[in-house]
Amino acid sequence: MTSLVNARGVSKHFGTVRAVDNVSFQIEQGKILGLIGPNGAGKTTLLKAVLGLTDFDGELSVLGLNPFRQRKELLKNICFIADVAVLPRWIRVTQLLDFVEAVHPNFSRKRAEGFLGQTKVRSNAKVRELSKGMVTQLHLSIIMAIDARLLILDEPTLGLDILFRKEFYSNLLNDYFDEQRTILITTHQVEEVENLLTDIMFINDGRILLDKSMDELADDYVELLTSGENAIKAKGLGPIAENEMFGKSVLLFEGVSRDSLRGLGELRTPSVADLFVAKVKEARQ
Amino acid sequence: MIANQLALIKREIWEHRSIYVTPVAIASIVSLSVLAMLVFASGFAKELDIAIFGASNLAGEGERKAALTAFFVGTSWLFLVGLAILTVFYCLDSLYGERKDKSILFWRSLPVTDAETVISKLLTAVFVIPVVAVLGIIATHLVNLIITSVWVSMKGGDAGLLIWGSVPLFDNWMAAFIVLIASGVWMSPFIGWFLFVSAWTRRAPLLMAFMPLILIPLLEWIILRTRFFATAVLDRGDAMPLFRALDFETFFEEEHWRAGLDKISLLGHLDVVQFLSSPAMWGGVIVCGLFATAAIYVRRYRDES
Repeated sequence: MTSLVNARGVSKHFGTVRAVDNVSFQIEQGKILGLIGPNGAGKTTLLKAVLGLTDFDGELSVLGLNPFRQRKELLKNICFIADVAVLPRWIRVTQLLDFVEAVHPNFSRKRAEGFLGQTKVRSNAKVRELSKGMVTQLHLSIIMAIDARLLILDEPTLGLDILFRKEFYSNLLNDYFDEQRTILITTHQVEEVENLLTDIMFINDGRILLDKSMDELADDYVELLTSGENAIKAKGLGPIAENEMFGKSVLLFEGVSRDSLRGLGELRTPSVADLFVAKVKEARQ
Repeated sequence: MIANQLALIKREIWEHRSIYVTPVAIASIVSLSVLAMLVFASGFAKELDIAIFGASNLAGEGERKAALTAFFVGTSWLFLVGLAILTVFYCLDSLYGERKDKSILFWRSLPVTDAETVISKLLTAVFVIPVVAVLGIIATHLVNLIITSVWVSMKGGDAGLLIWGSVPLFDNWMAAFIVLIASGVWMSPFIGWFLFVSAWTRRAPLLMAFMPLILIPLLEWIILRTRFFATAVLDRGDAMPLFRALDFETFFEEEHWRAGLDKISLLGHLDVVQFLSSPAMWGGVIVCGLFATAAIYVRRYRDES
């Protein structure tokens, strides 16, 4: 496995606030990693460090480059969508394609036009004349036409309606992703992406709370629906979170084998959202 | 590097349509005014001495040449003034607008350095806008010479001789080109300053750009009783070392004109060597470079979220 991103003890502070606090992780090629965290958790700061948009303390290499010092070189092989609203409103679609074609060595105009052909975006339209969903389609068409090794999406579907959101991710998986590529996504809408992730990382208050593959997640975490005496027994095994739902106890276990819980109630793999809430609460205690 | 610069400069022209709309607007206004005057003049007797444009009515050859030259210089000045205003607004918007609409995040997602971007904006202000303005000047001259020629021919005059043969067109266009390019270079410390303000300020770039130009001389005068800063700023406005010193005492006298009538060329009033060897010009270029570097630094290091 080639690791594309290598972070060792990365920190970034603004005054006394530690936005990213001594973070270490690796991202390997061919993965789709979800970076999940509440607002102000340090997600965007971390992404900016990876993209070379901000400097940082510690060691960080992206595609073997120092992102801050070698940003131009890096951006030939890395793409990002920072937010849906960032395409300049005054530009025409053709001008945008002309410009990206001129400055990006790995951009295929033909591919971009192919993707755009499947949308309602007219090539002579100005960005300001397009709906929010169409602007995202345009941006994604450009990004997907860039032969990049790492794609970073920061809240890519914010403010879009559900049809566009579904389409966005299906395009990304079907037309773009393969084992040569790596995607890093941050989003609030965890439910939408959890089925496409291969790996997941939770971040809160600038620290990483969890960093696992989705397979490991299913092995390491289990949710138990139980009631009555079984619930009392199960609580003795030290769940990391407890909830009551329809008169039943929902207990979340970390590192407790499924065998030892079998017979105490219904077992299932927790949703990423539930797990995230549990980990954040645990960290705050 | 050069391919990137060309793409970046093209982008500036796409974004700031005023770069070519302003010259077209000035050219249209000048041409329409000339046309209106000619039509107006036609309504009067042929003897009416509508000095500047009715070249056939001018008594002497010298006056005609002077009138046409005055028209040349006049339109060029209009362009120069329009260009100056355009450049101020262009510079102040160039690094501010992209932050306001957050498109900076998109531009910075492409493999283009902050230095390349700021340099493209500097080149646009110092060279591209003046070059477009020179094209505007040439077009205006041509259009109006054609209009005037038609008018003169209709009056029975020989346009070829009276109009086209009177002034050294290419000399004057070359002069306009040199003056406009030199003006950009001469004013480059202001261009650098405006770019820096545009990259740096969080609001009201126009106010932020001009306030120090007023406050600093004022404070200097109140505290130190000196006028160093004010003089440095004002000198830029009127003493470009490109022009040969004119003797205003004799410049407008008839003898002076009669003496040089055969060769009224604006080029003769320019001294490029004097300009290129002027310490004030090079000092300004250095100040411009420092401000541009600061603008690059701010764009690179400031977190825009």
